Amino acid sequence: MRLASWNWFWYVLIGFVMGGGLVYLQVKLKEMDLKLIWYEWTLTIVGVLLFMFLGQTFVASFGEFEPRAAWMSLLFMGLPIVLIGAVVYRSVQKRTRQKV
Amino acid sequence: MEKEKQVMEKPKPEKTQYHSTVNRRGFMKMLGFGAGAVGLGATNLHASGFKDLDEMKSSPLAERKLPFWVKEVDEPTVKIDWDNMERFHGPENTLFNPASWENQKDYFDIYNRNIASTKKNVQDNVPGLSLRDRALADANCWGWGGRSGADLAAPWTGADVKANPQWEHPTMFYTPEQYGVPKYEGTPEENSKMLRTAGRIMGAADMGFVKLDERTKKLLWGKIQFENVEKGYADKSKNKFVLPDKDLWAVCSVIPQSLWMQQYTERMSWASSNTMSYSRANIYANRLSVFLRGLGYQSYGGDTESVGRLVGFGVMSGMGEYGRAGILVSPQYGTNIRTVMVMITDLPLAVTKPIDAGITKFCRACKKCGEMCPSGAISMEDEPFWGGEAACQAKGIKGWYMDSKKCYSYMLGGEPDCSRCQSVCPFSKFDEAVMHDLIRMSIAKAPALNGLIRKMDDVFGYGKEPDLSKTPWDLDPMDIPLFGLDESRS
Repeated sequence: MRLASWNWFWYVLIGFVMGGGLVYLQVKLKEMDLKLIWYEWTLTIVGVLLFMFLGQTFVASFGEFEPRAAWMSLLFMGLPIVLIGAVVYRSVQKRTRQKV
Repeated sequence: MEKEKQVMEKPKPEKTQYHSTVNRRGFMKMLGFGAGAVGLGATNLHASGFKDLDEMKSSPLAERKLPFWVKEVDEPTVKIDWDNMERFHGPENTLFNPASWENQKDYFDIYNRNIASTKKNVQDNVPGLSLRDRALADANCWGWGGRSGADLAAPWTGADVKANPQWEHPTMFYTPEQYGVPKYEGTPEENSKMLRTAGRIMGAADMGFVKLDERTKKLLWGKIQFENVEKGYADKSKNKFVLPDKDLWAVCSVIPQSLWMQQYTERMSWASSNTMSYSRANIYANRLSVFLRGLGYQSYGGDTESVGRLVGFGVMSGMGEYGRAGILVSPQYGTNIRTVMVMITDLPLAVTKPIDAGITKFCRACKKCGEMCPSGAISMEDEPFWGGEAACQAKGIKGWYMDSKKCYSYMLGGEPDCSRCQSVCPFSKFDEAVMHDLIRMSIAKAPALNGLIRKMDDVFGYGKEPDLSKTPWDLDPMDIPLFGLDESRS
């Protein structure tokens, strides 16, 4: 690892964003009196990991002079992320309605 | 008019302009965004086709980019008295030349003291100053520049070194005997580890070792003979090259080539990526030869073609697998290597085994090099076959024998110098995106997906002919990786 490079900055930034996002999610869920079921957590984590993977692939592909690969990765990974988000959202929404 | 004159005569303020910095990664990413038709304005950075020199000078590309905290000034920060400045006679007036000393005895006292202390350190095996350290120092310092002879490649029996007594290190090119110590002794595993370390420092991306036995000797050129002699020799007038009939190993060093250059036009990729690596391979070979000599061991070969079949040794040493185009495909570097530089030595080494990363199996399904080959030389057969009937080929492997005449005629017959089979190979990728490692894992462990991976390689746009209007000449020089070698793969 090259300490002199600025790579560490991105790792720290991603760490803060992820940590902050997790805290925000917990606070929001508590506020809304919502509890996610295990498979909703699983899907959320898979979605977040896929999102991070997409981000890395997207940026790295431009770094590799492969813009088409970047846009294609957005398509091929972005769609599953949207689908996962929709499934989790629908699942939570359905449960909330039943609760009401 | 008067006003114009006043403006012209107004003294220029001292230039203290700070520069903004775009690092290489950032630049490449922006370049990619530009190519991706996102209007970030970054496309201006690589716009080519300046109308005149003034326009080019006003381009951000013409400026030397410095970190923002470094400013350009009109006068250097060291005071210079130009009126009294003298021209220095030349390097012969430096103290490296004994004649420059008023009392030459002083010079030779230091010279002899240096020899005594260097010898003692080697004899005492002082860390950092031991025999192998001195051998590496010799290899790196003078392995190339200090040897005698004008040829690029080392002679058959190793680098023909010649010490310069007027140089800075009096023990230049000393052998163990001259140091008064036995030759370096280590276990084969220790020797291999040592050679790998030295190899990485001297310019090898990876290294493998093959013991010469009845099988692997067949990978040597037919003109090489074995004789019961202590040391090999060459008789070039008879085209005779002799190795001693004793335990010998082939040191196989992967010399990487620039994928960064490879992506550009065919001519540039061939000349500035492919063949540039051959010249680095020769420099490396001289260094390796001097290193082995400094340890007290023999080395043979050194020219990139002087020992035998490079792909064969590459396969047997596990540096890669045999690919459809008849070239070695490395799991880490793809086909982006020139070359596996092979040198024979009597330093005992722990052998490295051949590898299976699913590459040859993938070549069955892929065929991309064959489809993209402009000369149609690469076989499109599904399965490899026994061949080698042509005089320019040799029998013995089940592979995809190419129509070499077609390749040769296209490559050197006036068409652009070609290395497209390397550029388009799905294994030749930058290592920025983690995705590539997952694909490599899939190829190794789930060959059923090979056909899909090949299709996705096309869909993602890999291996497409590059935009010929964009060449390295249109980029900021500081954004070009040193030696053209890609940071992501070092």
